[in-house]
Amino acid sequence: MIQLTNIDKYYDSKFQRTYVLKDIILEVKEGEFLSVMGPSGSGKSTLLNIIGLMDSPSSGKYLLDGNSVLDLKEKVRVDYHRNFISFIFQAYHLIEEMTVYENIETPLIYKGVKSHDRESMVADLLDRFNIVAKKDLFPQQLSGGQQQLVGIARAIISKPKLLLADEPTGNLHSTQGEMIMETLKELNNEGMTIIHVTHNEKFAQYGKRIIRLEDGNIRSDTNRKT
Amino acid sequence: MRGILKSSYQNFVHRPITNLINLIGLAVSLALVIILSLYSFGELTTDHFHKNADRVYLYGDNNKIYTPGILKDQIDLSIPGVESSVRIASTWEPPVFQVAEHDPLKSDLIFADEGFFRLFTYKTIEGNPDAAMKEPMSLVITRQLAEKLFGNKQAVGQLVKLNNSNEMTVRAVIERPKENSCLSFNALASIATQKIMQPNEGEFTEWGWSNFQTFLLLKDNTNPQVTAKKIIALFPENRRNDYKNTHLIPLKKIYFSKFEIYGTDFLQAGDKNKVLVLILVAALVLMIALINFVNISSSQWLDKIRQTGVMKVFGARQSEILRNMLAETFLFFLSALFLAAFLAVIFIPDIQNYTGIRVNPKLMFSGPFLSIAIGASFILSFLFSMIPALRVSSSNVLDNLKKNLNPQTGKSPLRGILVAVQFTIAIVLIAFTLLVQKQVNFGSSSFGFNQENTISVNITPQLNQKKDVIRKILLDNPSVKRISMCQYYPGKTISQWGTQLETGNGKKQVNFDTFAADAQFFNLMGLQLVSGRFYSDDLSTDADKVVVNESFLRENKIDNPIGTKLLTRGNAEIIGVVKDFHYKAVNHPIAALAIRNDPSTSYCLVNLQTTNFNSLHNTIQKIKKEITELSPSFPVEIAFFDQAIEKMYQSEILFKKTFSLFAGIAIVICCLGILAMSLFACQRRVKEIGIRKVNGAKVSEILTMLNKDFVKWVAIAFVIATPVAYYVMHKWLENFAYKTELSWWIFALAGLLALGIALLTVSWQSWKAATRNPVEALRYE
Repeated sequence: MIQLTNIDKYYDSKFQRTYVLKDIILEVKEGEFLSVMGPSGSGKSTLLNIIGLMDSPSSGKYLLDGNSVLDLKEKVRVDYHRNFISFIFQAYHLIEEMTVYENIETPLIYKGVKSHDRESMVADLLDRFNIVAKKDLFPQQLSGGQQQLVGIARAIISKPKLLLADEPTGNLHSTQGEMIMETLKELNNEGMTIIHVTHNEKFAQYGKRIIRLEDGNIRSDTNRKT
Repeated sequence: MRGILKSSYQNFVHRPITNLINLIGLAVSLALVIILSLYSFGELTTDHFHKNADRVYLYGDNNKIYTPGILKDQIDLSIPGVESSVRIASTWEPPVFQVAEHDPLKSDLIFADEGFFRLFTYKTIEGNPDAAMKEPMSLVITRQLAEKLFGNKQAVGQLVKLNNSNEMTVRAVIERPKENSCLSFNALASIATQKIMQPNEGEFTEWGWSNFQTFLLLKDNTNPQVTAKKIIALFPENRRNDYKNTHLIPLKKIYFSKFEIYGTDFLQAGDKNKVLVLILVAALVLMIALINFVNISSSQWLDKIRQTGVMKVFGARQSEILRNMLAETFLFFLSALFLAAFLAVIFIPDIQNYTGIRVNPKLMFSGPFLSIAIGASFILSFLFSMIPALRVSSSNVLDNLKKNLNPQTGKSPLRGILVAVQFTIAIVLIAFTLLVQKQVNFGSSSFGFNQENTISVNITPQLNQKKDVIRKILLDNPSVKRISMCQYYPGKTISQWGTQLETGNGKKQVNFDTFAADAQFFNLMGLQLVSGRFYSDDLSTDADKVVVNESFLRENKIDNPIGTKLLTRGNAEIIGVVKDFHYKAVNHPIAALAIRNDPSTSYCLVNLQTTNFNSLHNTIQKIKKEITELSPSFPVEIAFFDQAIEKMYQSEILFKKTFSLFAGIAIVICCLGILAMSLFACQRRVKEIGIRKVNGAKVSEILTMLNKDFVKWVAIAFVIATPVAYYVMHKWLENFAYKTELSWWIFALAGLLALGIALLTVSWQSWKAATRNPVEALRYE
């Protein structure tokens, strides 16, 4: 599904070139659950942003679902964001002025789903994550774990093929973190491809495959036998 | 104090762009307020500078300020309350001043009685003006005229020849006052001089001639009403009725009185309405700037609250925080004020040139003005920072330090309401500007006569004897279609006659404006005949025939004028009625007019038949050259009709310029405000925009989202502004005798313009926010 070839990402300053990612070669197949690990500043988030089409590499090739996705027009990129890729974040990034319900509904509005259909889709997800009672609350009235559940709900409501999670458990204590990871695992079992960036060794083990980044390079790439 | 300076500076550089916008907006609007208040102050204190201003009066009523010359003698003889009386008269046409080494120069001249300088205060530069007023053929001139005539040489003692005939001696040079005055002249001579230059014994001995303005200096504690009654009693009984409404007009009020002056206008009138409208504009501009101030500074509350939280934890008292915040605001206002004074000094000359308003920048540095300005800044800064300062200083420490402040503080409806108020003002100003434009265009387009390709040549005394030669020269020129010798010139003052009309059943008193014109005049002007006929060139049959306009019939209530006779010299017979046309400025109604077939000539109107600009120019140069040869001692002036017409409503054009300029500035300040607000809104929503983009929002959708709020408030402003604008515009149009319509499109256009301006301003920021890479916004905080 994802094919990265010789991906570089660097910043030029006056006298030197600083590499964030160097010569990354990575292939991710459909249905994989990939954990990306590495110390701060090793380029994990940059790699995720490049995969999520929010950032572009300085050089290299990127095939997504068989198509090159470098230098896309806004329209095409937005289409990917509407239908193919979704994100969840460490800081949840819910819209504070909106209720839980409205937050989850947002991607559907951009996708152009009719109001009637939206209602039932949001209701299904609220039900699935057991947050029906919270649907009229605002994000800051929820616990961190609940906010992240809303974030996941928002991410998967448009039925993306690829879910990118940037330290989704970073702000949570371990019970809540486990709950989130279980949810992700479940989604993966349903067939969703997930790439998951984390510091946490334990949570990384939820992935079927783990890569470790160091100074912009892939140091190891292991498939975990279950 | 140093602490406050330092923290003000730090706060300023913390958000440089919004603070700069805030400061510049406030400074520009204060500069405008300064300029307009100087202007209004100057206008409203016109003639206050004369030492005896409180005791000086003009005798007359609102329509008539011309009095007989003999009146002064009678007043001096029999009215004890009058300390001094002064008649003032002007020459009919500005005379030509000739000095040995200089080209002849046309300038104005007035005549006055001896006491002139007791009534009116002027600074003397050289010579003795009082003595000059006693001797015949002595001149008092202003410094400006002295410089034009003699350059740097001493003017006193120099000889000047007037109109190529009378030799006069300059006895004194005076300074034209810096302050506003209703009297405007460059040269002054005694009444004795007038008797020599324009001999007309009847002016001084008969009650029937009214050629003077009579000014009086009353003794202390003399009642002007009683004095006016006594003066009316001086008139012979058959004249008294004409003067029954006369009273004494205080000198300070003359400027804003409305009367018409014929001949050279040494009396200048102002328009109180314009002053009031401009004061209103100044107030609105200030309001817009203050709203900006409130909006921008309240958007910084969040920062402030966090800051004070820390300060409180370290032991600051509430009163200290309050005092600091108020002091900072005052400092901000004070810097805006100084910047404003600086801007005003720089731009006053340009604004004066462009708009024609009179401003005395020196006033700005006078003690009272400075103290008022600083005091007002203090009060304003106090008023507009008290509420936020109280809120910030009294807030709870723990709340202040919380990371997630209630996001609703950033989105209060108050700010939207303030934006709506600003846009209401902006829409009213735009609509009003459009209306002023429309009214001025209306004035210039509906004169009721030809104005294109027509020029006028002034007939100087030397040309007056050579009219046949001129006629031949002009008619030989192939580009000349028609010419007419007449006394008419657009907007030029015309004489007014009052006489009796002999109708079939008795005599009737009639008053009317009048001028002389030859038979070609009607054709050249393209005037339309209503009834009867125009007179012809044949003087044997049509000399002394008269054509009147429709208003003549209406005002004097005559049904069938043809064949009636005006009992003047030669008993002129009315033979035709012409359709009304604007012979005066458009803010005066068309009055009764009689056009006489009389050889008196002041102008030769020439209609040219060419459309090409170059050939037009060449033709005019040729005509000027040929005619100048016939008039070596007097300058020949050629004027385009349409330019002369423009002069007729010059005060409206200047008002249009003034108003548009200031309204434009108001709108720019308004834009600065919403620019700062949109900047703030975008900053506040950076994260939200990022999230929405990641969730599949397109740039256009983000733009719509960001601009929607502003559009909503502009729409509300439009709904409020329309009736307000309608009312104001309706009121303003009532000043005009001939007014344009209040079309719906004025409102629509004003609303659309306001919307367009708002969208452009807001989109500048929205676009930046919407096209930003979401990664930056969503980076872990």
